[in-house]
Amino acid sequence: MTRTRKNYIYLLVLLPFLVVALLYEIVPLLMIVFNSFMPENAIGFTLEHYVDIFTKPLYQKAIWNSIRISLVSSLIGIFIAFLGAKAANSAGPKMQNAFLTVLNMTSNFAGVPLAFAYMILLGNSGVMIEFGKVYGIDALANFDLYTGTGLTMIYVYFQIPLSTLLLIPAFEGIRKEWMEASTLFGAGPTTFWTQIGVPVLLPSILGTISVLFANALAAYATAYALLMNNYALLPINISGMFVGDVTQRKEMGGALSVVMMLLMVAAIFINNYIAKKNRKVGR
Amino acid sequence: MKKRSLSSTLIIIVVIVYLLIPLFATAIYSLFAKWTDLLPENFTVQNYVELLTEKDFMMSLGRTIIICIIPIFLTVLLVLLALFAVTIYFPKLEKYVQLICMIPYTIQGVILSVSIISLYAASPGVLGNRLVMLTGAYCIIILPYIYQGIRNSMHAVNMPMLLEAAEMLGASKLYAFFRVIVPNIISGITVSSLLAVGIIFGDYVLIRNIAGTSFKNVQIYLFLTMKSSSTKASAVFVIIMITTFLITLLVLYLKSRETKHRNQKVKG
Repeated sequence: MTRTRKNYIYLLVLLPFLVVALLYEIVPLLMIVFNSFMPENAIGFTLEHYVDIFTKPLYQKAIWNSIRISLVSSLIGIFIAFLGAKAANSAGPKMQNAFLTVLNMTSNFAGVPLAFAYMILLGNSGVMIEFGKVYGIDALANFDLYTGTGLTMIYVYFQIPLSTLLLIPAFEGIRKEWMEASTLFGAGPTTFWTQIGVPVLLPSILGTISVLFANALAAYATAYALLMNNYALLPINISGMFVGDVTQRKEMGGALSVVMMLLMVAAIFINNYIAKKNRKVGR
Repeated sequence: MKKRSLSSTLIIIVVIVYLLIPLFATAIYSLFAKWTDLLPENFTVQNYVELLTEKDFMMSLGRTIIICIIPIFLTVLLVLLALFAVTIYFPKLEKYVQLICMIPYTIQGVILSVSIISLYAASPGVLGNRLVMLTGAYCIIILPYIYQGIRNSMHAVNMPMLLEAAEMLGASKLYAFFRVIVPNIISGITVSSLLAVGIIFGDYVLIRNIAGTSFKNVQIYLFLTMKSSSTKASAVFVIIMITTFLITLLVLYLKSRETKHRNQKVKG
């Protein structure tokens, strides 16, 4: 009896953690979901914000842009990461070390500084744009960074270090013997990778894609630094509902936040589903 | 075989060059007065001199350091206490603590920041204070990294056995925890704290949404300068990137030292 009572005193030790978690994580998140079902400036229950999201072109455009840019940048990112991780796996130790250092260094290079560096390179009077003008390379001279394509390009940049770092450990699971065995049966490297390598790596590849997708979906600073509020994108629209000169639109912003969270969860579930299905076929 | 490793080397070099171009281009840009032809002209360090003597910039650097230290110190303390209570006295609660710690990893900055401001922006007193909100938000956003770092190193040192030994020698559990366990896992705490410094140092969304321009950190400073002067902003950029790289290097160094240390122990 005394022992259990003494133990409860130690709940006090857990208390500070719980207070901070409740105040700044659990309650705010529950409230934002709760708000999304409330009519604007009134009390009650409504689905009108969700109806708005799926009928009004403004919101649909934001969702579509977000999904498109996240998906395209993730797919290009994973493709380059695959080549990079494969190369890292078969390169010498010195090369591997140099590569890992650069990847680790650049994995923190995102947000405002990244957008700024791209503006210096490819912005309105960027260094490379000026080269294009001087040397008559029209494709370069007329490149417009301040578009969805430009944004995708910057997103691809920050996806590469992250995805390569996530994929390199997976390649260690591909044994040299498998490659030798398949060569003995007359398979070339292409056959090996399409028939054995990629299927074995598929769970890691899909897992990495879902991390990349979520990463791109939530990216705010990069997009805002480049395009301010002139481009419809979920995180930008959500922030716009709460911050700025206009009055807060908690309810609509809440509904958009819920949609964004659902998209992230969906990405994880779709990946798990494909991975599971694939495992069954494999058997 | 030779050919294969040549093509690998080539791919790696291409990726490295691609990743380094924006960094080097901006660094070069910050050191020259004019760059409109193939090569930049008129080398100068004027941008840096101006920046480092500007009070506004130094203040933003100071603010960044303060807003890094406080949330990290708080979070490390909270997580240490929570993990102590949970592993020793309430093992059943461990999975809930883990869940709370991992949620921020999936929701990320935008949603967290808007949920916090929509809840507290209008409230009076301490909760409505922007800096308190910002500190709270930073504590939550770094929670997954701090939690994982501390938990992994706790598992590595066999905490229950060490505590039992200390208790047998007459120390109380809480005392033993802070005098025996914490010093043993200090390198794990350092690594995860440095990761957290990297995250807060690179944050723009939380500070922009919660504090606005009222609490200018270096990221906000960069954002505002790049709208007015790109040469000055490129110097800010270089200072931010050098700091980030130093943090990353330190993390890599500490991690490799720890692995070596552990391998030696195993061998010995």
